[in-house]
Amino acid sequence: MTSFDSRRISSIHHDLHQHLPSESVLRTKALESLLVEKGLIDPAAMDAWIEMYRDEIGPKRGAKVVARAWRDPSFKRDLLENATAAIEQFGFAGHGTGHLQAVENTSEIHNLVVCTLCSCYPFSILGIPPAWYKSNEYRARAVREPRAVLSEFGVEIPPTVEVRVWDSTSERRYLVIPQQPNGVESWSQEQLAELVSRNSMIGTQRDLSPTRRQA
Amino acid sequence: MDGVHDLGGREGFGPILGKGDERPFRFDWEMRAFGLAQAAAGDANWSIDWFRHCRELIVPAEYLTRPYFDQWVVTIAAQMIDAGYLTLEELDAGKSAFVRQPGYPPETAEEARAYVQSARSYALDSEAPPLFVVGDAVRAKSMGHPGHTRLPSYARGRRGSVIGHHGAHVLPDASAAGTPRGEHLYTIGFAASELWPEAHDSCDQVFVDLWESYLERI
Repeated sequence: MTSFDSRRISSIHHDLHQHLPSESVLRTKALESLLVEKGLIDPAAMDAWIEMYRDEIGPKRGAKVVARAWRDPSFKRDLLENATAAIEQFGFAGHGTGHLQAVENTSEIHNLVVCTLCSCYPFSILGIPPAWYKSNEYRARAVREPRAVLSEFGVEIPPTVEVRVWDSTSERRYLVIPQQPNGVESWSQEQLAELVSRNSMIGTQRDLSPTRRQA
Repeated sequence: MDGVHDLGGREGFGPILGKGDERPFRFDWEMRAFGLAQAAAGDANWSIDWFRHCRELIVPAEYLTRPYFDQWVVTIAAQMIDAGYLTLEELDAGKSAFVRQPGYPPETAEEARAYVQSARSYALDSEAPPLFVVGDAVRAKSMGHPGHTRLPSYARGRRGSVIGHHGAHVLPDASAAGTPRGEHLYTIGFAASELWPEAHDSCDQVFVDLWESYLERI
């Protein structure tokens, strides 16, 4: 039975530190084969998880939601009010989006999402978080020097624009609605969705204009 | 918990690498590690908060230096050993020393797919009326919790204001200790200038979701 004992877990981690092979590949293989042998992992379940997040679930889902919000003001209102309910009609509700909060970029505001304590992320609409989102560097710096971090991503925020950093400490997860670029008013929703990048929905990209993209 | 995982605002970290990498998994083993961590059987009272707490307790030097999904593998191994499903000796030998444990059936592929499609709610009733309303000035407590907590150290002792109340949610501190209960959850807005000395003339803000027991009225 689970002990819920911090000291016991610390001690196990120290043992593992000394006993596990140092290469991640070998560690993973060792644990997988043992757990399968013990019947504690169903290989078909493991394959299902991998297939879902390798092939089916990714940021294209979020992009569809954003494009719809750009085109349909009443949907955008719903999305800002209760994003969990709003994404249900797409069939995207699920893993990590039970309490989804959409935040909107405007001419005066830029939003940036981080999880300083671990790696919380709205999986079912954005897929697996990028490696940099989970990195120590991003987690340490995004809350303290968001403008410097944004600048590294090639995003310069003018001093008149307020930067709002959302630290995901709870099961509430965040989706940034980027600004619709100019000059795409006649585009279809499908074309607009093509413009919406994963980074723009985390907040590390601001300008989605097609000319910039080709540059 | 005052551990190395609590990274918000720590200085000395360098540039962010791999910014243009769009791959969900960079290596094959990462994919296996992800699937393994998701599909592994657990006790009935397993919680995400317990998983996070066990990950926070990884040997500090290892926490800061080993790859992300590697930490998941180590966390699952530690949890399995703690719960008695696995021993260090078996890991050393690479061979199971005892037979299947029918009491803890692993997740099936159907269950995995159903889990991903259900927007699991962490709302949990609390009989206590909320202590704060939107607009209230509050201070995050200067003490954290000795076990798992979601009060980041950079917010401790800092003044902010309530910008959202989300009803009661599972309190991570209690859930990671095996005794889940609901507590009111708020979004607190902190001026960057309240958090960081170098941001004294900044208009920026940091928003943190914090539970009621993390907060005190000013």
